[in-house]
Amino acid sequence: MSTEIDTAPALTESQARALFEKEFVPHLDAMYNFALRLTNDEDDAHDLVQDTCMRAFRFIGSFEPGTYAKAWLFRILKNNFINDYRKKSRGPTKVEFEWVEQSFAGEDDPEPAFQADLQAETVNEMLGDEITSAIQALPVDFRMIIILCDLEEFSYEEMAKILNIPIGTVRSRLHRARAMLKETLASYAMKKGYKTDMLSA
Amino acid sequence: MKTNCSHQPDCLKLIQRILDKEASAEEEARFLANKDQCLPCQEGHELELALRKALKTSCHSKCPSSLLESIRSKISSIILLILLLIPLFCWFI
Repeated sequence: MSTEIDTAPALTESQARALFEKEFVPHLDAMYNFALRLTNDEDDAHDLVQDTCMRAFRFIGSFEPGTYAKAWLFRILKNNFINDYRKKSRGPTKVEFEWVEQSFAGEDDPEPAFQADLQAETVNEMLGDEITSAIQALPVDFRMIIILCDLEEFSYEEMAKILNIPIGTVRSRLHRARAMLKETLASYAMKKGYKTDMLSA
Repeated sequence: MKTNCSHQPDCLKLIQRILDKEASAEEEARFLANKDQCLPCQEGHELELALRKALKTSCHSKCPSSLLESIRSKISSIILLILLLIPLFCWFI
């Protein structure tokens, strides 16, 4: 009879609660951080994480303990973001997403036009704010993949599942995202350089 | 030492795959063996490392404790709702 109810089936209250504490709670910081980078707004990030947890809890019966909860949660979060928050926060941006998919669909795409002229020392000297604003300046699909890979250290295979794209697209999108990030940082460095020149002049 | 590398785009892709832990042990060994002879590869490797480090130090935020509490209380109300609904549902049929 309880199969008629779609909420947390097959698990008792205490089992579901224990599973939540054990499998979800350890990933909340990472989920919140991801949500904050995607929405760029604390309230939206709050709602996005909360909705993701409630959705995950509804389907907690379909979660297999022992599998990688983090990837499962990130996939729900990303779908939630695409379906709800993206529409809400910035109006219809389907075009941008499709454009990215079409333009960067294959591994054999031509290389980015040039590699930005950027040195490791310049990056080391940069302020945290400059790094975060360069990340925020990236198109959301690029921002997403850089965070999943460089911050959360998901494998290409896990990212392919989270983003629902082929592994070749993961590789090429990641490569492009990094090229674009370097380009943005190089332009910041140049502006900064101009400023110091002006000050010393 | 080489100051110019004609395979730089390919080398850069390899460097990224190595740091992403997606390259094979052979590919990694081959890269490490050649790295000392090639300035663009060394610089590329350092830059990629610096970028990852910068991202890790500047792009993280902690989940506010109020959010965790609000999720916990929502879950409690859902559980309560189910506990109430199931007997009600059974009673009706």
